[in-house]
Amino acid sequence: MSWAQAILLARGLSRGWGGICSTALTGAPFSQVTPQAPRGLHCSTAAHQPDSPLVPRPPEPQRGLVKALAPHEELFRQAPDGVRDKASFVQAVQNFTQYNVHKRGHVDFIYLALRKMREYGVERDLAIYNLLLDIFPKEVFRPRNIFHSIFLHYPRQQECGIAVLEQMENHGVMPNKETEFLLTQIFGRKSYPMLKFVRMKLWFTRFKNINPFPVPRDLPQDPVDLARLALRHMEPDLSARVTVYQMPLSKDSTDATDPTEPHIIGIQSPDQQAALAHHDPARPIFIEGPFSLWLRDKCVYYHILRADLLPPEEREVEEIPEEWNLYYPMQLDLAYGRSSWDDYEFNIDEVEEGPVFAICMAGAHDQATLAKWIQGLQETNPTLARIPVVFRLSASSGELLASSSGLEEPPLTPPEGREEEENNQQRQQQSQS
Amino acid sequence: MALVHKLLNGTYILRKCPKPGVASCPFLSTRFADYCSSSLEKPVAAPGKAPSQRKTEGNLEGHHQREVALDITSPEDKPEVSFDKAIKEEIKDHFRRLKDDIVNHWIGPEGRPLHEVLMEQAKVVWQFRGKEDLDKWIVTSDKTIGGRSEVFLKMGRNNQSALLYGTLSSEAPQDGESGRSGYCAMISKIPTGPFERKRFYDWSQFNTLYLRVRGDGRPWMVNIREDTDIIQRKDQMYSYFMFTRGGPYWQEVKIPFSKFFFSNRGRIRDAQYKLLLDKISSIGFTLADKVDGPFFLEIDFIGVFTDPAHTEEFAYENSPELNPRLFK
Repeated sequence: MSWAQAILLARGLSRGWGGICSTALTGAPFSQVTPQAPRGLHCSTAAHQPDSPLVPRPPEPQRGLVKALAPHEELFRQAPDGVRDKASFVQAVQNFTQYNVHKRGHVDFIYLALRKMREYGVERDLAIYNLLLDIFPKEVFRPRNIFHSIFLHYPRQQECGIAVLEQMENHGVMPNKETEFLLTQIFGRKSYPMLKFVRMKLWFTRFKNINPFPVPRDLPQDPVDLARLALRHMEPDLSARVTVYQMPLSKDSTDATDPTEPHIIGIQSPDQQAALAHHDPARPIFIEGPFSLWLRDKCVYYHILRADLLPPEEREVEEIPEEWNLYYPMQLDLAYGRSSWDDYEFNIDEVEEGPVFAICMAGAHDQATLAKWIQGLQETNPTLARIPVVFRLSASSGELLASSSGLEEPPLTPPEGREEEENNQQRQQQSQS
Repeated sequence: MALVHKLLNGTYILRKCPKPGVASCPFLSTRFADYCSSSLEKPVAAPGKAPSQRKTEGNLEGHHQREVALDITSPEDKPEVSFDKAIKEEIKDHFRRLKDDIVNHWIGPEGRPLHEVLMEQAKVVWQFRGKEDLDKWIVTSDKTIGGRSEVFLKMGRNNQSALLYGTLSSEAPQDGESGRSGYCAMISKIPTGPFERKRFYDWSQFNTLYLRVRGDGRPWMVNIREDTDIIQRKDQMYSYFMFTRGGPYWQEVKIPFSKFFFSNRGRIRDAQYKLLLDKISSIGFTLADKVDGPFFLEIDFIGVFTDPAHTEEFAYENSPELNPRLFK
């Protein structure tokens, strides 16, 4: 223990003993936290809160239905026009500390504040978690002798500290040095919250970058940008081009997704373009969808343009002429036998599906919007005009399917339950002639 | 209704896992579930308390039998009602398997010649090409503790893949002890030999797990359980994350076995050791990413292979701060 800590402890002990002696003499009930302790002992090195005048409690609203309020819940209730954000949360916490110098019921208050964080939108804010840890009185819960450390010293408070850290863990917030200092000051280095902190530091850093397809934490709000991000996320070919076929109407008075003019964004890579150019016009191609894609916590839907697999007899093997590369042969027909120690292939036929020619994301999932996408695609793929397009859309309207009592149709088209199928051949040919 | 369902369930399970004489026990279904199911992965109790949700994963909801309910992949064929015939068939089947087992032992491990098994570099362990492949898996969700997630397993398009789909709901059950909820899992059944003796997989010559999946962008967790032959170790497992890309293309996921970390009762532990591959009992996929909504995962096949470029033995080293006794 360093000398600074020893001085603080000695000061606290002397004040504590002095307070206990004085109150014992007077006979009044005493608490372990002395009322005369200077502010400096119980505040962390965080910024010193200015002595603002006490905010008056908001009036109790008249309510017919009275729920049993959690203790201190009235601190989180505010005027109806008050906005729930970080500032009001901080204000509520400060109200608690100012009303309640002895921090009576701080454990309940911290649990309540943890529950309320989501409403105020601050569940990923590290400063708020440090503020909550700051509510604990310092130096009181640290074990001072061997008996304290054998038995769980102040178990409720330690559980509460663990609860704060666990909520941090659930939301993926990494604690910092201030958290470590607070935990050391409150609980000591050998306590369970400190152990949990060390574990968080270890495992969070280990698993921080294991996602091979990372999605940014702050997703763009604009649907066009979100669709662009999602399409780039799905398409592994980096040379693919994202094209915006239709932008949504300006959103002055109407909603962002206007029903008549939804956004349509598509992606196609040069390989897919070439494959579509080679596609036989006698075979139809299909628009399938909508399929769901999750980016963190947002679900977007996309459609794909694909063709069926060619039966094996019609598949042609591409012949590379021998003069293509004079330095080394492109095809080797050597009859070297490889025995099984060199065979890394799986002994199974992988599931084969037809080629995908393009992917798109649109605001609406009906045929008219997708037809507009096809028309936009025809500019870069002129052969598309002669190929019949079949719409294979499933019945979902595009919103997140509310779970019914078990009979839920998945957004994919199951092979036996295809809902809509319309042949659009005449319309395509008429639009092009 | 519940009784009829229990009876039908009991007779269906009778065909798979009989114990003659106990066949008419109506609680057979729950017992079967107890034996073959695995405990829950995510901690769902409030912090500080031990997560001890070991409620039976039996038939808690009876309706919609044609959809795959909790444990059992959908029995679309009607189960027979004649007990004696079923018992006789089962006994004959087991003896036949015992005979095959003894004969195979002479040929080599699992009936294949030894040189083939020793030099094998890639092996398909689970494939999904027919309904009988789905029977090797159990699906569970947090309905067993009173949550609202639903999960179903069925064959995908053209019977070429398996589709695991459902809805995740992280609404905690109001039972006074669960703080969080919301998970769905698909677990493989423990392989059994003749007379339902527990078997295990031996993957000691492979070093990577290979999955060909098509997801929807959600992060899954792959859990491997070791064989609980000697010590009862039903709460311990080795896990790692599987991130799906989403999109219409099939995705190959290769997870080396050295990356699996050890966890007990849903909590990752301080003392980490690598996964020993010689006695593997089951593998499972869990989705518990705290986001409510529908999900799906299409699986083509699951295999193991030896990646010659991967030389890591174990990815996590123990820290002296957390485990001072290991470093004495």
